[in-house]
Amino acid sequence: MSQRKVPITRLSKFFAEEDFDLDISMGQEWLHGDMNFTFVLYRVDRQRTKKDDVYGEVVSEGVQYRAPIELKGYVQIEAPTNAFMGNSKIGQVEPGNLKIGIYQSYLDEMGVDIEFGDYIGYYEKEDRVRYYSVADDGRITSDNRHTYGGYKPYYRSIVASPVSNDEFNGI
Amino acid sequence: MALPKKIKKTIDLIPKKTGLDRRIQLLDDIQKDGTYLPKGIGHADLDRGMLDFVKEDLKTFMDGNTVPTVDIIITTQNWSQFTETWNFQDLDKNVKPPFITTVRQPEVPYGTNPSLQYTIPNRKQFYYAKVPTWDGQRKGVDVYKIPQPIPVDITYNVKIFVNRMRGLNEFNKNVLQKFSSRQAYTIIKGHYIPIVLNNISDESVMDIDKRKYYIQNYEFTMLGFLMDEDEFEVSPGVSRALTMFEIPQLNKSVKVNPQPENPNEFPVDLLFVSGNTELSETFRYSADLHLNETFNVDSFSVYINNDYVGDNITKIQVNTNDLVKFVVVKKSIGESQIFTTAKLI
Repeated sequence: MSQRKVPITRLSKFFAEEDFDLDISMGQEWLHGDMNFTFVLYRVDRQRTKKDDVYGEVVSEGVQYRAPIELKGYVQIEAPTNAFMGNSKIGQVEPGNLKIGIYQSYLDEMGVDIEFGDYIGYYEKEDRVRYYSVADDGRITSDNRHTYGGYKPYYRSIVASPVSNDEFNGI
Repeated sequence: MALPKKIKKTIDLIPKKTGLDRRIQLLDDIQKDGTYLPKGIGHADLDRGMLDFVKEDLKTFMDGNTVPTVDIIITTQNWSQFTETWNFQDLDKNVKPPFITTVRQPEVPYGTNPSLQYTIPNRKQFYYAKVPTWDGQRKGVDVYKIPQPIPVDITYNVKIFVNRMRGLNEFNKNVLQKFSSRQAYTIIKGHYIPIVLNNISDESVMDIDKRKYYIQNYEFTMLGFLMDEDEFEVSPGVSRALTMFEIPQLNKSVKVNPQPENPNEFPVDLLFVSGNTELSETFRYSADLHLNETFNVDSFSVYINNDYVGDNITKIQVNTNDLVKFVVVKKSIGESQIFTTAKLI
């Protein structure tokens, strides 16, 4: 990222940095204080993980993780789909994807980045957690939807797909 | 350094049979635990044989564990697959990779097994074996006949579901080693059934925002045949009766005394002692009884097989095994007699 900073002056006649910060803080207060959707992020330690030399696949029980972090965001879970596995006749109900909207400022404040391939655990009940693998870490936030009225990007959309527990089953 | 090929690394404790002995061994395998007839094979037997072939001959290990197989042909009844997969499910009760499943294409066309082409038409039964029989007296054979088996080609898709490429490699190696000569054999109820590897294809789920896993499909064709035991026929063949004579070693000629010829006519006298007015006699021959005279008899009645025939009749026709009863009315107390002559018919 460039070290040189350029002030954002667009929309300045009726919207400014103070307004932006105020709205973001109000949104965070609602999301974190009122809604309080929490999930656990398991970041794969890409340096210490033992992987296959040829295929880069992790060997059995070989994944190493950094310390899990509890985060807050806006969580949506899609509806499950009922389908055969490939062309086999073995049917299954595939759980829906997990979609998370999370404030970028919150991630910056926590000093955390969510990356492709990290795992997310979401407690559906006290004793039931489902794990997901990040399939889209939402790092590109240049589109209009992720900006506040075209002023500045302020959140990321994370898409994670469910994993079977032979791939990841918590730490 | 590798050993030269001519050096045997292992020695068979039981020498392998060849030629006629091997053919006899094959026949013994077919007839094991059964009759002299071959065991019938149906669609279900072929399917079971394929499942066993996948489970045993294509057994694959990953991370020190056997990759489980779904040990049924998946059908329209959804519950049945659960019974075979419950021990490798995840928390959603979905089947958890890695596993191997066998899918049968429902249609079963006429087969291409070259040894079973159209040679005997119209389900005509042909000679299979002659089996000796002995019932204690007669020695014979039963002729066993069976119709020509019907060749069928059944296509199976064996699919492996894994999360790692090395699992695919292991299964692929097992299959290609087994089918290095394009076909492999499995034994189903004592019959050798060839299986041909047709094609290998990939059906992996690689959508970026879905759960990803590898699926590889191995298409096999089983060149099987159907044999319906209900069409087998066992019929008695030639019988030989064995009659034995015991002959004394010391032959002595015995002079036969001449006997008078049996007469065709002889007297039959009936004596009614004092106090008795009834006599019954079962005749062992057919004859006509002619009345000659009576003594101290006022009248008499005749019954044959308890059926009244008549009074004071002079000729009585008697058949073999007839029970003839005479009832007399005496003139005075004392003995009475009826004198007849039997003339054999």
